[in-house]
Amino acid sequence: MSASVVSLVEPMQVDVEVQDGENVPVAAADDEEQRTFLIENPNLDLEGYANGYAGYMKTMRLIFVAQHCPSLRIESYRMAISHVKKTLNVALYQQLHDKLLESLRLANLPTEGLMLDVEWVDQTTKHAETLLEKLETDLKTFKNAAIKESIRRGFDDLGLHYLNMGDLQNALKFHSRARDYCSSPKNIVIMCTNVIKVCVFLGNWQHVLSYVAKAEGTGLGGDKDHCTPQLQTKLRCAAGLANLAMGKYKLAAKNFLQSSIDHCEFPELMSASNVTVYGSLCALATFTREELQTDLINCSSFKMMLELEPNLREIVFAFYKSQYARCLELLSEVRENLRLDMHLSPHINNLCQQIRFRALVQYFSPYKVADMHKMAAAFKCSVNELENELMPLIFNGQIPARIDSQKKVLHLRQTNQRSLTFAKTFKVGADYLHRGKALVLRNAIIHNNIQVQQSDANK
Amino acid sequence: MSCSVEDLVSHITNYSSRKEYTLLNDFMNQHYQLLLKNQSLHDLILEALNVQRHSLGVLHIMAMKASCITSQSSLETVSQLMQQMTVFMSQCCQDQLNLARGCFANIFHHITHLLCERKIPIRGIKLMCLAIDTLQNGEPSSLTSVHADLCQLCLAAKCFKPALKYIDVEISKIDKECGMMTAFHLLSYYYYGGMVYTAMKRYDRALYFYEQAVTCPATMVSMIMTEAYKKYVLVSLILEGKLIPLPRYTSSVTTRWIKNYMTEYQELATEYCKGSATQLNALVSRHNITYTQDHNMGLVKQVAISLDKRNIQKLTKTFITLSLEDVVMRAHLNCNIEQLEKLLLKMIAEKEIFAGIDQQSKMVKFYDNPEQYNSCETLESIDKHVQNFMDIDNKIKEMNQAVMVNPLYLHKVKSSTSPHDEEFEAQLSQTASTSSSSAPRSSALLSKLNMFNK
Repeated sequence: MSASVVSLVEPMQVDVEVQDGENVPVAAADDEEQRTFLIENPNLDLEGYANGYAGYMKTMRLIFVAQHCPSLRIESYRMAISHVKKTLNVALYQQLHDKLLESLRLANLPTEGLMLDVEWVDQTTKHAETLLEKLETDLKTFKNAAIKESIRRGFDDLGLHYLNMGDLQNALKFHSRARDYCSSPKNIVIMCTNVIKVCVFLGNWQHVLSYVAKAEGTGLGGDKDHCTPQLQTKLRCAAGLANLAMGKYKLAAKNFLQSSIDHCEFPELMSASNVTVYGSLCALATFTREELQTDLINCSSFKMMLELEPNLREIVFAFYKSQYARCLELLSEVRENLRLDMHLSPHINNLCQQIRFRALVQYFSPYKVADMHKMAAAFKCSVNELENELMPLIFNGQIPARIDSQKKVLHLRQTNQRSLTFAKTFKVGADYLHRGKALVLRNAIIHNNIQVQQSDANK
Repeated sequence: MSCSVEDLVSHITNYSSRKEYTLLNDFMNQHYQLLLKNQSLHDLILEALNVQRHSLGVLHIMAMKASCITSQSSLETVSQLMQQMTVFMSQCCQDQLNLARGCFANIFHHITHLLCERKIPIRGIKLMCLAIDTLQNGEPSSLTSVHADLCQLCLAAKCFKPALKYIDVEISKIDKECGMMTAFHLLSYYYYGGMVYTAMKRYDRALYFYEQAVTCPATMVSMIMTEAYKKYVLVSLILEGKLIPLPRYTSSVTTRWIKNYMTEYQELATEYCKGSATQLNALVSRHNITYTQDHNMGLVKQVAISLDKRNIQKLTKTFITLSLEDVVMRAHLNCNIEQLEKLLLKMIAEKEIFAGIDQQSKMVKFYDNPEQYNSCETLESIDKHVQNFMDIDNKIKEMNQAVMVNPLYLHKVKSSTSPHDEEFEAQLSQTASTSSSSAPRSSALLSKLNMFNK
């Protein structure tokens, strides 16, 4: 055979594997960094931010902001404490109080006047206990009376109570127990939404997805009462959040983009602006141009949501109009703020990286030959950096081109299909021969009953 | 019975004249020990016998003579034996030989052993070729145990061409040699054959041979298989850049053993796939002792070089031109520019990459593969391949047919699928139409063939 095809091995190692945007694993090496990063100068309106949420979600988000932003730490702890006081979560209150004292001390600010409200602590603990006892006795009575509806409500109330107290595991347990006592689809839906909520807090994303599926399976039976758009949107967004957290950006984008602004009323999960941000970022990172046009740009319901976040709107439109420099610039501006978002923070690097790669691919798609200097200017990086970024993309086949490193030009690669086919044919032929011969030999071996046995083992 | 020359000779001539060769065979085997002791008589007996008419008798005496030669015997005796065997082979009668093939082959095993001991392997090569020809008796695709001896001698003598003639032929039959052909000979043949190909840098054939050695049916793992596997890993890395998985019919004993004990080689394979030459070299130096003990260090070094080459080849996919420094950096090479230039020149000469080096600007320009597949050679090559495919296909069809008409197989099929009478009827009719006479086979063999045919 006169020719041999140079067969290549695995792609060169890149930090982020750029596939289809689906199932990109969150870089595990960054876990440590993820837990300890600090944002110095965000322009986040804490009040406005916090007002978008309610319940446990508000507290969690405020804590996240406090952990990662020194300048807003004290304020957010204060807000968190005032919010916690409205619930029965004594343990969390004490934790927050200690953290606040610590941060005040570190900032050399006066700490007088900030006393642990022991009275409130005792009161709340007692209150919580009595309430718990009452609910439990109620539940027992209901169980004895064997009234399904009341038992279910009893379980629900207990679940809510535990959530109030901050005991998420028990809350989940009781909410799921209510499942056996659900009689109508409406009950099932309520049960599912409760479980979804608690699972979101727990970070148990698989559960969230399965319960969303369950709720959708029952609730959309046709009855207008419980098949509201609010419910639909809520479920969609919960599913989107779960997909985002698991790194399935394309699915998440699809989920988020199906929601509309009028029906985004679930402050215990996320705010409307959250939905916009998550949805548009995931879409930018994973959608093709056609999908972007149909599902994002031309989608009237989501368009209104984009109005909430003018930054995001600018980014999306700049990307669509191929103004990549502007788009990436704006993106880097909002990036810091977005890192303070609890759910988006571990994925923001990934998403930005993917958006950048997609921009590179799109930039080159109409050209046969492209000057890398111009390209580097468009993407605001040096030519060498650009070369390094392009290498893995080319190797993965996303950009069918080759780099002329001397003149710094990118050439479209024209593959000769005919040669490829010939080469492949020879290879397939060789494989077949190999296996055929092995088969014939093996037949002869078995025919003669040749086997490596005990007595041959020493040879 | 007395052991005088005349008695023996008369016995042999009597049996031979009456053409009762099997009886003669038994007689010789019975008195083997007795005759063995009387070494001095061997030559006398041989003189009295005619090679043509008394081939069997002569053969047995020669066998005894061969087993009498020890490491202490002089070189003369060995040469004399070899000469006598040559004469024997040129004049012997095939029918008589067929009764004692194992005995015949054994002589050559012994000769090989003696020659290797005395470090003069090259003397025996021609003799082995003759022996193989005699045993094969016109069927070049028949495997004998002397094949292994030939390969062993060629390797020891570093003279590979004579072996090539035999190992290039595909094996489709195995010579039983009256029951003395064992897995040992098969494994040795494929192991040594693989080594011959490796030495000649024909890595694709070498890989095939090692694979056959490793996938031999087994209930215990033999040393030959382990050594063959080690070389299999190394050649697979050099040839394809990754460890090609073994076929599914590899016995489970082997696969388990590989998982547990072949760690250094598995690690080498995984490290190779990661693509970093420095890491690979670090690993190699860590396991230096193991590789050297296995006498595989040379191959391991070749593996390391091939990784560098592969990294450079990756670059041809993404770049059209590249400066020499960039090549060194991007392919993670551990050499300076001059060494790189030399390496590139060698690769271009061996047609591993297509490139040109501009010394003035220190740039490498990568070209596309100029092979257009539109020449006569391509057509010839395709034609030859298609011929090969058809040959193999025919062989496989024959094998299939042979099993299908085997009465034992049909019996088993009937008992397992009795509701499907139509199928059975079809097979019966097929049996009736084809007229092949297959010897009855043991039931153990049948079950294996059953599995194999599925």
